[in-house]
Amino acid sequence: MNTNLKISNVTKIYPGCIANDNVSLEFNSGKIYALLGENGAGKSTLVKILSGVVIPDEGKIYLNKNILKLNSPSDAKKNDIGMVFQHFNLFETLSVFENLIIDSDEQRENLKEKIDTIMKKYNFSVDLDVPVLNLSAGQKQKVEIIRCLIRSPKVLIMDEPTSVLTEQETSELFLSLKKFSEEGILIIYITHKLKEVMQLCDEVAVMRRGKLVSVSQINNENIESLANKMVGQDLKTIKKKKENTSSEQLIKITNLNFKSEDPFETNLVDINFSLNRGECLGIAGISGNGQSELFQVLSGEIISNKNSIEFNKNFIGDLNPQERREYLMAFSPEDRLEQAAIPQMAIFENVALNNFKSSNFFNNGLINESKIKEHSKKIISEFNVNTDNIDLKSQFLSGGNLQKLIIGRELITSPDLLICFNPTWGLDVGAINYIHETLIKINEQNKSIILISTDTDELLKLSDKISVIHRGKLSKIMNAEDVTSEKLGILMGGGN
Amino acid sequence: MIKIVKRDQPSKAIFFFTPVLAIFLTLIAGGIIFYILGFKPFEALKFFFIVPIADKYGFSELLLKATPLCLIAIGLSFCFKSNNWNIGAEGQLTFGAIVSGGVALLFYDQEGFYILPIVILAGAIGGMIYASIPAILKTYFNTNEILVSLMLVYVSKLILDYLVVGPWSNPEGFNFPETRQFSDSARLPLLFEGLRIHAGIFLALAAVVISWFVFYKTYLGFQMKVSGFSLKTAKYAGYKGKKMIILVFLISGACAGLAGVGEITGPIGQLHREVSPDYGFTAIIVAFLGRLHPVGIIFASLVVAITYLGAETAQIFMQIPKYTGQVFQGMILFFLLASDYLLFFKFKFIDSKK
Repeated sequence: MNTNLKISNVTKIYPGCIANDNVSLEFNSGKIYALLGENGAGKSTLVKILSGVVIPDEGKIYLNKNILKLNSPSDAKKNDIGMVFQHFNLFETLSVFENLIIDSDEQRENLKEKIDTIMKKYNFSVDLDVPVLNLSAGQKQKVEIIRCLIRSPKVLIMDEPTSVLTEQETSELFLSLKKFSEEGILIIYITHKLKEVMQLCDEVAVMRRGKLVSVSQINNENIESLANKMVGQDLKTIKKKKENTSSEQLIKITNLNFKSEDPFETNLVDINFSLNRGECLGIAGISGNGQSELFQVLSGEIISNKNSIEFNKNFIGDLNPQERREYLMAFSPEDRLEQAAIPQMAIFENVALNNFKSSNFFNNGLINESKIKEHSKKIISEFNVNTDNIDLKSQFLSGGNLQKLIIGRELITSPDLLICFNPTWGLDVGAINYIHETLIKINEQNKSIILISTDTDELLKLSDKISVIHRGKLSKIMNAEDVTSEKLGILMGGGN
Repeated sequence: MIKIVKRDQPSKAIFFFTPVLAIFLTLIAGGIIFYILGFKPFEALKFFFIVPIADKYGFSELLLKATPLCLIAIGLSFCFKSNNWNIGAEGQLTFGAIVSGGVALLFYDQEGFYILPIVILAGAIGGMIYASIPAILKTYFNTNEILVSLMLVYVSKLILDYLVVGPWSNPEGFNFPETRQFSDSARLPLLFEGLRIHAGIFLALAAVVISWFVFYKTYLGFQMKVSGFSLKTAKYAGYKGKKMIILVFLISGACAGLAGVGEITGPIGQLHREVSPDYGFTAIIVAFLGRLHPVGIIFASLVVAITYLGAETAQIFMQIPKYTGQVFQGMILFFLLASDYLLFFKFKFIDSKK
C-alpha cells in the first residue's frame, strides 16, 4: 500500500530561535528522502515533531490524508512511525531480546518468531541472548531497527545513523534501507553528510536556519550544489599544500601502556609512534576504541611512565597537563562543554584555564584579572570569535565560536604541538572550514599536530601521516597519500 | 493558564531570592503546624522568632549561636564549592574541642597571655587532623568522603564521652561527666558585662573576610570554582586535584575546630558531654541557605540561629519540645531545595483564550 506523509506549514519557536519556520513537505513511499542541513538547521526539531517528542506551535501533519495527532512518542508508534535516534535508546545491561520486547504487549513466543523472520529476511545477524553492552555500534543500531520493524512501520526515520558506523557497516545499512524502501516503507534519512545523500537517497530536502530551502531530485544535484544550498554561500575548498616537512623529531612515544580499572574504558596496548616538526599525525578510529584514553595519556590527564613520552628531547611522561604546557604542548579535548570549557563561567575565566607561566594570569597566587582580560581580547580578535563581550558566559557562544575560543586559547601561546580530539565535532560547515584552515596554518609554521578524529574526511584532508586505533592498539603509521577511506574503514573495523 | 518554562539562564536576582522565599514558606508552614497543635499561629511565630531577640540579652544569644554556625559554614563552603562533600563538621568541631580542651586543662592552674593563643591553635589543629582522615582516605583510597566524615562524627563523640567520664573528669567534680574549669587565661574574653557573647565572633568575621578574598581574588579560589563546576576540566587544566582536596578539608576542619574552641572556652569554660547542639550539621543548611557566599552565610547563620533560640522560648512559654527548632531547620532546607526549582524554571502566564 502506498504511504503518503504530509507536513503542512509547521512552525516551532524556541526562546530566541525559530527552529522550524512554516515548513511544508510531502513524502511518498517507495523513495528514500534525505533531510539535509547543518547543525541547528532545524532538521532534528522537525523529526522530533514527526516522532511526537516535540509538539509544534502551528501546522498539521497528515498520514494518508488523515490528520495525525502526535502528542507523545507513543502516538507516533501507534500511527506506524518508527524512529531510530542518533543516540541509542537501549538498556546496556539487558539482553538484545529483552530490549526488543520491552515496549511490546505481544506474547514472547510470537515476538520471538517475528524477530527471527525479520532477521532472516534482511540478513541481520545479532545474537539475541548477549547483553547489549557487548555489541558494536552497528549491531546496536540493528537492534534499534529491528525494534521498529517489529511494529511493521509505514514510516522509518533515521537520524544521523552513520555517525558511529564503519564504512562497511554503513554500506550494509544502506543496503537494508534500500530493501525497506522497496518493500513500501517510507524512509526519511537525516544527515549532514553530503556523500551519503548522493549515494542513498532519491529526493533531498535542504533546510537552513529553520527554513526549507529546496526540495529536489537527487539526479539534478551534485555534492557542490548541495553544499552550497546547505551553507548558503560558496564554499572555498581547502587543500593542504604538501610541502617537504622537516626531519627534526618532535615527539616520540615508546611502549606506552595504560590499563584502566574502569570496565567501560579501553586499555592502551604498546603505543609507539614518532612525529616530526611541521607534521600532522591523524589517528582514525570508531569512537570508543581508546581515543579518549590516548588523548588523556598524551595530555597528561593520565600520567604514565616518564620515559614513555619524549618531547623535544625531554622525558615528560610523568608530568601533568599544566607542566606539559610549559614544554610547549597544547590540548583541545573532545568535550567542549564539559571539559575544554565551563559554560557557566565567563569567556575570560575560560581563557585562564590554560595557565601558562609566562602569561602571568596568576601572580603570587592572586588573580590578575586585567592581564587575563587583555589576553582574552587578543584571542577573540585573532581567532574570529564572534563576540566583543569577554564577560559573557561561554554558554552563550555557539559551538563554532566556543571551539574557536578554545583553539585560540591553546594556540596563542604558540605551542610546538597541538593535540586535538574531534575538533570539529558537531560544528557547522563554516566553523569547520575555519578550524581546518587554522590547523593547516600551524602546520605551515612548522608546528606539529596530533589529530584524533572520527571523521575520516577530515583526517584525509589534514594529515600527513595516518594511523588507526582499534581496541586500544595503533595500526602501522601510513603516509596519507597512500591511504583511501576504504582502507581506513577496513582498519577501523579491525581488519588488515 | 500557567505554564512552566525552562529558564535560559538563572538570573543573579533569583539566585538570592529563593533563600528568602524559602524562609517565607517556612514561616507559613510553621504557622500551619502551630495552628494544628492548637496555638494561635501569629502569636506562636512571635514567640519563636521575635520574643527571643527582643532584648539586649536575646540579641547577644543570637550572635552567640550564629558565631559557630557562621564559622563552620564558611569552612564548609570551601569544601562544597570544590565538589567535596564534608558532612562531618560536627565531628571536626568535637575533636577540635577535645584537643583545645586538653591543652587548656594542661594549664588549668596557670595564668598567662600566651595560653589562649595556644588553646585556639590547638583547636584548629585538632579540627584539621580530624578532617584530614576523610580527605586522605578519599585521595589515596578512593573512599566516599560523605560516609567517612559522617561516621567519624560518632567516633569523636564517643571519644569525648570517654574522656569526660574517665581520665579527664574533674577530680573534685562528684563524678559529674565534665572536666575541671579552665583557667581564665584559657577563656575567650566576654565582650560585655552580663552578656554571653564572646570574642569568638571576631574569629567568625575574620573567616568571612578571608574566605571572600580567597574565593574571588586568588588562584586557589579560581581552581576551587573550576573543580566545583567540572572535575574533568580541572584535570585537563592540570590542577593538582589531590592537594586541593586535602587543603579544603583542612580549612574546613580548622574552622569547625575553632567553632569547638569557642564553645568550650567561651561561656562554659570546661569540656562536657554536649559541646555542640549539632552546630556542625546545622551549618550545612546555613552554607546552602547562604548560597556558599560569605555574606550570604552571615545572614543565613543569623536566621538559623533564631530557630535555636525560638525553640528554647517556645519550650518555656508554650511547652513545646525544643526539637521544634530542628523541625524549622529541616523545613528551611526542604523549602530551599524546592524553591531552587525556580532557578531553572519559571512560571509563564499565558492567555488562555489562545
